[in-house]
Amino acid sequence: MFIGRKFNSLILSSLRCNLENSFQFYSVFPPNYIKPIYKKDEQEALYQEETELKQFSHSPVQPAKTNNTCSEFHDELIRKFTNYIMRKGDKKMARKILDETFENIKIKKLNEYYNTPPEYRENIILDPKVIFYQAVENCTPVLELQKISRGGIAYQVPIPMNENRAQFLSMNWIIRTAQNKGNAEKLSDVLAKEIIDAAKNQGRVIKKKYDLHKQCEANRAYAHYRWL
Amino acid sequence: MMSYTYSLFSRMCLRNGRRTIITAATKDVPDTNIPWFRISESNPAELDENCLTRIYTIPSDITASLMSNMTLELRKQTEVFRELGILVRRPSVEIISYLEQTDFTKSINKYILYGIQGAGKTTSLLQLIHYGIVKRYFVLHLPWVQTWFRYPRDAVVSPLEPDKIDLPESATKWLKYIKEINKVALSQLDLKTTKEYTWSQREITKSGESLSNLIEFGIQRNKFACGVINALVDELKMASTAAKCRTLVIIDGFNAFTSSITHVKDENHAYVPPERISITSTFLSSVDYNWCNGAAILTVDKKANKDRKDSDYPTYLLGKKGFELLDPFLPICVENYSLDEFKTILEYYKDRKWIKNISDKGQRELELLSNKNPYQLWALCKPLY
Repeated sequence: MFIGRKFNSLILSSLRCNLENSFQFYSVFPPNYIKPIYKKDEQEALYQEETELKQFSHSPVQPAKTNNTCSEFHDELIRKFTNYIMRKGDKKMARKILDETFENIKIKKLNEYYNTPPEYRENIILDPKVIFYQAVENCTPVLELQKISRGGIAYQVPIPMNENRAQFLSMNWIIRTAQNKGNAEKLSDVLAKEIIDAAKNQGRVIKKKYDLHKQCEANRAYAHYRWL
Repeated sequence: MMSYTYSLFSRMCLRNGRRTIITAATKDVPDTNIPWFRISESNPAELDENCLTRIYTIPSDITASLMSNMTLELRKQTEVFRELGILVRRPSVEIISYLEQTDFTKSINKYILYGIQGAGKTTSLLQLIHYGIVKRYFVLHLPWVQTWFRYPRDAVVSPLEPDKIDLPESATKWLKYIKEINKVALSQLDLKTTKEYTWSQREITKSGESLSNLIEFGIQRNKFACGVINALVDELKMASTAAKCRTLVIIDGFNAFTSSITHVKDENHAYVPPERISITSTFLSSVDYNWCNGAAILTVDKKANKDRKDSDYPTYLLGKKGFELLDPFLPICVENYSLDEFKTILEYYKDRKWIKNISDKGQRELELLSNKNPYQLWALCKPLY
């Protein structure tokens, strides 16, 4: 076990980085192995389209990962968010923080629900998952700045980015903004506040997004350096 | 000697004591507005076998008085749900039916609730406290003994008994709480002290003074709060024996008293056993057999003591000393939810907007994950909707 850990921490990382020797690690499974489909509704959808099923029927399948579950409480985006919260591999802690966050969101929203007059109550969303999705969507940026040097001068050039990167930025901003508060408040409390604010299109994370967009707008003149 | 006193007691008590009989009152036609998992009845004395696996609501004034001493999770639940709804379960209904049929001229009966952690022992007690308040008992509720021993704010040498240690701050807090929950009983029952208590040269509580004055004195004079608790329990025992009132002793986590170590430190900075803390003997005497017109409802819990953690059963948790003190007692097991109770509680959460769209498969998953344990279920439902 000790040797294994040593290997992971010291040797493996250096091997991966050392691309000059053109030495690279490959997956245990060859590329013709397909990824497992572990959600039950996805499997049922597969059965209805027979052509796809035929494609998969004779191809070997990778084993499912430990965090892949067919439970209806499992959610891909939330799983990802948990991993972004995680520090030093402490996933139990990360999951606890996120659970507490969702609980806080529910409590805050229920308070709001009971404090509004009965005729307006139906408009209030109580589902923390929906609020979370909304928050992530609202915080997603369109452009970002990249440093490109032309003629010895580095320019901040606005460039579009792919979906994954944008989603990562939006989620990471939420976490970073919540962590900025320091140790005075619990992370789960601040995170709940930030998520609720972001879902309403307000708050510090949204401001951060707008600031970035504004800078991109200002640096519009450099946009052609992307391809020139 | 013992038999003589006992016969004297019973003769005294027979004069005034009336055995209450359960009347099979015809139930009203249930309201159509009330959902199937609720009962409109809010009097715990009326709850019987028919009301099992349904939820009854404790009135808001009693909830407010209990609020400060409920568990953290239950307090949170009450704030979020805007009411304190309690599932009517077998243990509390059983104890209430026993209390209704008890011959109060005999020495007190002791009921011990036991069960695994999170099974609902403390929550069952809430219903019994409500019953006590409604039935005009004097309720001596000691919420979670371990808070006295685990987190002592200030431990000082007792001014009345020099070899013992007082915990004045917790004692004052508790006296306030007792005054709060027994507001009605104190004003109606008109209880008087029977002997003179000398606290110091100047401060004397004369005989014939009302008990509320005694409690008020304990709250004012922090130093003698533990002595006041001792006096209060003695007076209540005497008053109950004289059939002036009925007393319901409810102690949560009783086995903390019979444990071998506490977190209280003496002047030499050494941990002391519970016997050296002045309230221990008080509350041990409150569950003694030498008084009548009362009942003692206790819980034992693994979490309440430091040295015994292997089993949940009362004989083990109480230890030899505690067992000999309490024997004979009636052990009552608080188990995990049954399937009906599980469904009811999920329906209640749905009604209170705590969860909403959980399919049958999800319910099955929750059932298996929590093993129908009330606390586990509550914890699992927290992030879901």
